[in-house]
Amino acid sequence: MNTQLQDKSAEQPLTMKDLQTENPRWCLGCGDFGIIAAVKRFLVDTQLIAYKTVNVSGIGCSGRAPNYINTYGVHSIHGRPITIATGLALARPDLNLFVHSGDGDALSIGGNHLIHGINKNFKCVFLLYDNELYALTKNQTSPTTRKGHKTMTQPVGTYLDPINPVRTALGLGASFVASTTDWMPDHLASTLKAAFEHPGFAFVHISQRCPHFDAENFDHKTSSWFTFLKHANGIAPDKRLAEKTEIIEHDPSNIEAAFKYANAERRYYGLFFQDKSKARYDDILHNLIKDTPQKPRSKILDQYMLE
Amino acid sequence: MLKEKKKVSRFELLMDAGFGAQKAGDILISAFAATGKFVYIEPMIPAEISPPPRTAAALSGVIIRVADFDITNIGNDADVIVASHEIVLNRRLDDEETNPNCRVLLDMGDKPGNEETYEKVCRRVTDLGLSIIPFETDAESKALIQSMQGAGKNMYYIGMLAAIYNTPAEAVEEKIKKTFGKKLKEDILAKNVKIFDNGYNFAKQGVFFSYEIESRPREGEKILIDGNTSLSMGIIDAGIKLFSGYPITPASSIMHTLARSFPAYGGVVHQAEDEIAAIGTAIGAYFGGVPSVTCTSGPGLSLKQEFIGFASAAEIPIIVIDAQRSGPSTGMPTKTEQSDLLAAMFGSHGDNTKIVLSVANVIDCFYAPQMARYLAEKLRLPVFIMTDFLTANSYKIIDRPKANEITNIDDIPDFVFERFHLKRLPASIEMVRLIQSIPGTPGALRRVTGLNTDREGKVNYFSKQNHLGHQIRNQKVNLVRQALVKPEMFGKEEGELLIVGWGSARGTIEEAINLCQADGLPVAGLHLKIVNPLPPMLKDIFSKYKRVMTVEVAYGDNIKFSPLAYILRAETLTDVRSLISLASGRPIRPKSIYAMAKAALSKKEGVSLVASS
Ligand SMILES: Cc1ncc(C[n+]2csc(CCOP(=O)(O)OP(=O)(O)O)c2C)c(N)n1
Ligand code: SF4
Ligand SMILES: [Mg+2]
Repeated sequence: MNTQLQDKSAEQPLTMKDLQTENPRWCLGCGDFGIIAAVKRFLVDTQLIAYKTVNVSGIGCSGRAPNYINTYGVHSIHGRPITIATGLALARPDLNLFVHSGDGDALSIGGNHLIHGINKNFKCVFLLYDNELYALTKNQTSPTTRKGHKTMTQPVGTYLDPINPVRTALGLGASFVASTTDWMPDHLASTLKAAFEHPGFAFVHISQRCPHFDAENFDHKTSSWFTFLKHANGIAPDKRLAEKTEIIEHDPSNIEAAFKYANAERRYYGLFFQDKSKARYDDILHNLIKDTPQKPRSKILDQYMLE
Repeated sequence: MLKEKKKVSRFELLMDAGFGAQKAGDILISAFAATGKFVYIEPMIPAEISPPPRTAAALSGVIIRVADFDITNIGNDADVIVASHEIVLNRRLDDEETNPNCRVLLDMGDKPGNEETYEKVCRRVTDLGLSIIPFETDAESKALIQSMQGAGKNMYYIGMLAAIYNTPAEAVEEKIKKTFGKKLKEDILAKNVKIFDNGYNFAKQGVFFSYEIESRPREGEKILIDGNTSLSMGIIDAGIKLFSGYPITPASSIMHTLARSFPAYGGVVHQAEDEIAAIGTAIGAYFGGVPSVTCTSGPGLSLKQEFIGFASAAEIPIIVIDAQRSGPSTGMPTKTEQSDLLAAMFGSHGDNTKIVLSVANVIDCFYAPQMARYLAEKLRLPVFIMTDFLTANSYKIIDRPKANEITNIDDIPDFVFERFHLKRLPASIEMVRLIQSIPGTPGALRRVTGLNTDREGKVNYFSKQNHLGHQIRNQKVNLVRQALVKPEMFGKEEGELLIVGWGSARGTIEEAINLCQADGLPVAGLHLKIVNPLPPMLKDIFSKYKRVMTVEVAYGDNIKFSPLAYILRAETLTDVRSLISLASGRPIRPKSIYAMAKAALSKKEGVSLVASS
């Protein structure tokens, strides 16, 4: 029978199995597996109620994620998951909202919505699945493809320097900017936890492997090529890899330092920036109703009466 | 002043943008209404904010029709024109909307230095056989206007018009005070009233003619409202709780009205970053179980198309209001047109299903959101409400509609269904997906996708399953078709010629058929509110007439069928052609329909007649 029907009542603890739907149609070794596993693990660890949780996505390999997590879900259209999430945040503030978006989805076709989602700072966890290419359409250059990398659309090598998602989010005034990877389950889980607890739009950049089209990218076996950002108010380095690479202290309230790490050649993973005080669009609109004396609809046309 | 009795008259005030022609028009019609007249007002608004004065582009004004009976449309041609200078007058004469005996009152204040153009335009007026009445504001008014940097001239003009239409000065003064009372300082208000009085007294003595339109005692409660305000209030009354839009003429005023009113009724107004986001947010809200609406005009409709198909596939209800303006592209933002019909019906790729309903007048505007909500939620399909610039901006006095205070679609009373010529749909309607729960409901975790799925909602690319999905979605539309009752008709049930229109064409058709009947012409009319699907009995109705012809404010010619004619042909296999298919940006006039119908009757069958202007 339909797995969608098999969610448990709130009284019974949620398990990984409850969140299972069907076998994901992703390639073996795809980083997307790691990401949805971490999302499920997070839901179980925090015992969020599945029927009060909505996963929203756009289109791409990454866009399929909501189909594979047994909560409510909207697999929408290319580039537009933030718009759907905005509607849910405004209409249903009681729900837990996760947005799943690829690098093409978020930074190319949906770039405008990313700007405004970040600026509106409505409450959601935004996951950027960054495999640095268009995967589902078979290996085209994306906004984050590294310069010189050969793709189907730029076969002599990608022409331009990539857009830097973390710097972009910081530049747009995001109230929460973190970066992690699909292959560090512990770090990914800690990042999700911090993101979920954030009162606003939590921008989570995730380096995601696409072994099918770009096996060389992201050497997940070694760790010397990146650094963890660590802080009491930040995200703890991945337990498994912590010993094997550089760790530096970074206070996530320090925006200048955040930009410095975002701008560096080297990769940094961890919490770049957080500001819990940034105004939230969803709160503002809900408070507007709360603070406005409510009127009966029966008198709605009175103001247009001819006397 | 000579007094001529009239049942109905139309006049216009033409000024430069920014000098308060519309505000003056509003004041005048409220005074007319207060003294027992029926009115209909259509504003003429330039697309730019402050086009340079004394240019054709600056034309800003109002057309007002006043009558001693309830009027359904802006009518035919002008009996009186008051123009602030020769340029706006010249521009407006191009539209050819004057009666043969139209009286043109031209302010000569700008003549010094512009003698040549003034003379040319005055000659044009007399060449058209119309009479020109030059006038100038008196010295006192001139000084007052100058002291207010040119403001207040509009008061002089409505003073003249109030006198010409035999409306007591006090009635207008009261409205002036009501309109400006809170906004203007006392001395400025007094200046405005003084200028009005001067205009009034001038016309009383200096204008030789006047019209008397009988007053009718008002029965019941009446309101004065325009289409977009009516729609806005209708959205609230329908129990919709989220409005999501992006500014565009002529839809924006709905967002403006709701931005002020909605919070007091528990509603959210979301100004999105673009039209795609606007509809996405409305769809997100409706997926969350909260009735929502998005509102746009032509260019925005184009942007929304992908999401419209998504909503249809994912079975999420959504209401889209399209306030049509002249297209393609940015076209004429402040001119009316009915040319989005096919984009609404067939827009978005693949076979995607939707319901398209239209509004004929401001009362429909109030109830359409209820009808749309009913259809959207019952069918889980996109539902369009098609209005247009004309309906959006025209004011009319109507019986105060009853607020239904809808919470649930079961609350919608029968009279709303009757208004849209629809019966209720079956209690249970088959969906492609078996689960249609809203988040927060345990036991049925619904996931939607634009991909094809099986009945359980799982992605599926099997041919049979895909075809079945199409069948189920199309069957939803068929259910509406079966629930449609006979559309509204005017005149005899058989004859030589049937004239068909949709949306805002209703009032004009009704009036035109009256003209035809008074003349014994075998012409009848039919008006459609729901245009997709079309009622099943159309073919039968059409078969009772030798010819069926449409009237539309949309382009069509001898080779290209206009949008409504196009769908009626496809639907009924009747040789429907257009009687009038003008992309003029101007409303169709009853007398044009009458004249064209008369011409059509004298021509051979199958000949398409397209009005040239
Ligand atoms: C409007 C539109 N344009 C193009 C496509 C085709 N398309 C599907 S996925 C995709 C790119 C996906 O790239 P990304 O967002 O990075 O996701 P990934 O597959 O890499 O996870 C494109 C262009 C589409 N579905 N819709
Ligand atoms: S193509 Fe790449 S991103 Fe897509 S499923 Fe395969 S490995 Fe994952
Ligand atoms: Mg990608």
